[in-house]
Amino acid sequence: MTVMSGGQVGRSVPRREGPAKVSGRAEYVHHLRLPGMLVGKIFRSTVAHGRIKRIDVTAAQALPGVVSVITGEDIRTVIPHPYYGPAFHDQPILALDKVHYVGEPVAVVLAADPHVADAAAQLIVAEYEELPAVFDEVEAMTSKAVVHDTLKPAGTFPDLKHLEGKRDTNVALDFRLRRGDVARAFAEADRVFEHTFRTQQVLHLPLEPFVSAAETTDSAATIYTASQSPSFVRIEIARLLGWPENRVRVKTAFLGGGFGAKLYIKLEALVVALSLMVRRPVKISLTMEEQFYTITKHASTFRIKSGVKDGRITARECEVWWNGGAYADIGPRVTQKSGFTAAGPYDIDNVHVDSYALYTNLPPAGALRGFGIPQLVWAYECHTDMVAHELGIDPVAFRRKHILRNWRPQATGTVMRDAEIEAVLDRLAARMDWAKPFDRGTGTIRRGRGIAIGFKASVAPTTSMAIVNLYADGSCALYCSTVDMGQGSDTIMAQIVAEVLNLPVESVTVVHPDTDVTPYDMATLGSRSTYHMGHAVRLAAEEVRAKLAAMAEELGLPPGSNVPVAELFRRKYGMQAGNVVGSGSYIPAYKSPDHDTGLTPNATPYWMTGGTGAEVEVDTETGQVRVTRLVNVADVGKPINPKIVDTQLSGAAVMQLGFTMFEEMNFDGGQVTNASLADYKIPGLRDMPVMENEAVAAEQRDGPFGAKGVGESGTFGVSPAIANAIFDAVGVRLTKLPLTAEAVYRALRAARGQPLAEE
Amino acid sequence: MTPFDLVEPRSLRDAAGLLDPDDPSVRPIAGGTALMLMMKAGVFKPTRLVSLRSVEPEASRIQVDDTTLRIGALTPLASLERSAETRRLLPAISRTLRTLSNVRVRNVATIGGHLAHADPHMDLPPLLIALGASIRVVGPGGERTLPVESLFAGYFETSLARNELIAELSVPLWPQVRAAYLKCTTRSADDWPALGVAVALEMAGSSITEARIVVSAATERPTKLSGASVALRGGRGDDAALRRACDAAADEVSPMADAHGSAAYKRELVRVYVGRAVRAALAAGGAG
Repeated sequence: MTVMSGGQVGRSVPRREGPAKVSGRAEYVHHLRLPGMLVGKIFRSTVAHGRIKRIDVTAAQALPGVVSVITGEDIRTVIPHPYYGPAFHDQPILALDKVHYVGEPVAVVLAADPHVADAAAQLIVAEYEELPAVFDEVEAMTSKAVVHDTLKPAGTFPDLKHLEGKRDTNVALDFRLRRGDVARAFAEADRVFEHTFRTQQVLHLPLEPFVSAAETTDSAATIYTASQSPSFVRIEIARLLGWPENRVRVKTAFLGGGFGAKLYIKLEALVVALSLMVRRPVKISLTMEEQFYTITKHASTFRIKSGVKDGRITARECEVWWNGGAYADIGPRVTQKSGFTAAGPYDIDNVHVDSYALYTNLPPAGALRGFGIPQLVWAYECHTDMVAHELGIDPVAFRRKHILRNWRPQATGTVMRDAEIEAVLDRLAARMDWAKPFDRGTGTIRRGRGIAIGFKASVAPTTSMAIVNLYADGSCALYCSTVDMGQGSDTIMAQIVAEVLNLPVESVTVVHPDTDVTPYDMATLGSRSTYHMGHAVRLAAEEVRAKLAAMAEELGLPPGSNVPVAELFRRKYGMQAGNVVGSGSYIPAYKSPDHDTGLTPNATPYWMTGGTGAEVEVDTETGQVRVTRLVNVADVGKPINPKIVDTQLSGAAVMQLGFTMFEEMNFDGGQVTNASLADYKIPGLRDMPVMENEAVAAEQRDGPFGAKGVGESGTFGVSPAIANAIFDAVGVRLTKLPLTAEAVYRALRAARGQPLAEE
Repeated sequence: MTPFDLVEPRSLRDAAGLLDPDDPSVRPIAGGTALMLMMKAGVFKPTRLVSLRSVEPEASRIQVDDTTLRIGALTPLASLERSAETRRLLPAISRTLRTLSNVRVRNVATIGGHLAHADPHMDLPPLLIALGASIRVVGPGGERTLPVESLFAGYFETSLARNELIAELSVPLWPQVRAAYLKCTTRSADDWPALGVAVALEMAGSSITEARIVVSAATERPTKLSGASVALRGGRGDDAALRRACDAAADEVSPMADAHGSAAYKRELVRVYVGRAVRAALAAGGAG
């Protein structure tokens, strides 16, 4: 492509929404008040698995101020088949027949006053016939407790068709990858290593909880929602209502964080159904506590086995169980799209992956910053370290020996391109001074260091569209449905437009998602926007540029003349009038993996690589771990905005630091017992280690201006780097997250042959 | 939230008169940092709140005489933290306050509310008990004085009647006391403590004549550990005595298991942190 040197790309343009956000002027859906609006308060299941025998709403209905109390059966009067979901149509708008987890929405009270709705919701009485429940992902494989009677894959994915109507199973998807001859390689190996790793259930916890509002007429619905996927919401609501797309309008605002939580349908179908029933606008704003009952990150178990011959890994077998909770959400996609990278960024001839999406009676799990990759890297990078240690090889040297280089096939058979995995490892080792002696601490404080690297394939295939509208004075607007949820996409997209049209970035406005105005985008997820939407925006701006050139030619100007844009419009229309509109669309090439082998020549448009180095201090008397330094290195292609790249890497690393050190949803019989920010702790300023971030010299040659995604890469290596550093410091291995002080202390005691009593 | 009455009496005595000894839905409110959370969570539904914000100004004063620092119950924690008297006479209290919650809470929360809430995770109660502090309480029948130690009857429970109010906290000033408070969090840095340990040592030269060791957070209320005190009394806090004190503390304590850690782990934390707190107190110098 030809690139004009506008100087707008590759520059740390300040975040355009910054001043509005820090001065409290930014627009959020939480602020929205519609005339005549009712608010809804959700009544939730108190049992993990049960048949609904009776829902008594009489007392709630009788409370003064209550407009209506609505149950799942009532929803059927406006939406006869009220099941939704991106991969499976398994989730009812309100529970029908059965409840599948504690916290599942069962009924809604509508009132003008939220306190009345709240009080009334507490007057609802539900009776259930309790059924056996299953919570553990490995047990769910063989459990007699079956969460859903039959599987209901959505029609949209051909590779899920074979699951239609399957009965008596909790396995929502079984993905397999078969490369080479693993059995033979194990038989011929000098040594075989096998370990099992686990991760805990955690959640996104954006500081802005879920919020959606709807206003409807008999023939149209407008939805205001804090969503990362407005286009999906429109299509899915239209499907539920049996309406064409153009009768459903979805608008978003800035998001107070998303992290993968606010994808697909969350409250949107519910507020639309309620609004249609009561013929008034309806808004539902969840509390912080209710986020724990809405969407989470998969807990997982990963059994990994490697065969080594002559100091080289010749075979790797991976068996991964993903705890998807009660509804599939996007879990089956996590299982497959991340599953195929389970053997790590290494060149291994024989690879065998089985990756299972499991239903359990826990709150549903979906996408969370990394889309399953952090769970996988946690296991394969601890395992790789353990193997290196057992073989007496330096862990960096051992990794370098196996690194998956460009032009070599990844486990799927897809040939690697523009993936600077080795550069990430090298820069990490250089920044950590890996070759130099390390201060190991004294007395009760022991120091250690560790590294880990991971990679991710961009989810494919996905589509983005954009429209660029150039006004007669030379200012310009970009219409795109990428949601700026804090990651800085508005700034990046404006930079791309400005670069192509050779404009100052300040003269580009970004119109926020409104499906009546902005064109389709698959969703803001999986670090896909810079690449996919970036391309669409570039193409739209290039079309504008071409049209401007044609206009100049039509006006008899010589090619390359520098008549200002405003003057061109004046000459053509006789006054300040008119527009030039350009559009762009982008979908990368892709080939589905073979169902039986998981192999494909084109698994993804681009690879994201991230690595972390950690230095820790372990208090041997208490097990407390202080992360004293965290180095995050990633291949992000050529950064469009270096400052945003830096903050995305550190933000991702800190988020994963919480998941590594202490975040954990605690359960008692399926009931979350720490559903608040007082009892579920996330990292604060004082938990922040000294952090360094680096984007290695790289270029995604088919990316917009050489760029690719960055939002998740900082998460990949954090957990195993810290665990590897703890091992380096005190010689104990933890195989389960989080790495709490107590877990470290218990491991230290066990290693001394003095295990601590359980209670 | 359902509507409730809010009254703003002009004196603590009037406030006590507006409370109801038999009705738990009538409560006093000072800074409100804890009570408002309970109301938002629906755990507490008041019929009447008796606001203490307009009571006599003496109730939020800090005064000092030769033997005592007297702190009005309505004194915000931040004022206590920044008071020159506290810093000079009881630096352990200032140091503890700096790690107590965050500055927004400290600006609003009051010392009286901090004590009356009786949450075992609070930071000051163990230190105040170790320092031998007492409170003056007003009620409709008059006043009484009791040691802070006997204020805490159990988990979120005090020995006050529903119509009694803390008026003043008194902390004795012993020139030869060295004190320290250490807390241990096991999740984020701003988490509620898994364990708090306060130590006050009365010294004669370099000899410990009396040691008071109090643990909190891990136990259902702040608890004095007498075995550890015995191990330290009469010695100089050498390694062997410290070890005996730590083991005695670990044997004596009855920790509760919760999301911060198992009981067995907290017992080990007590063993370690008692030693560290004694060392910190000894290192704190005079009038710690």
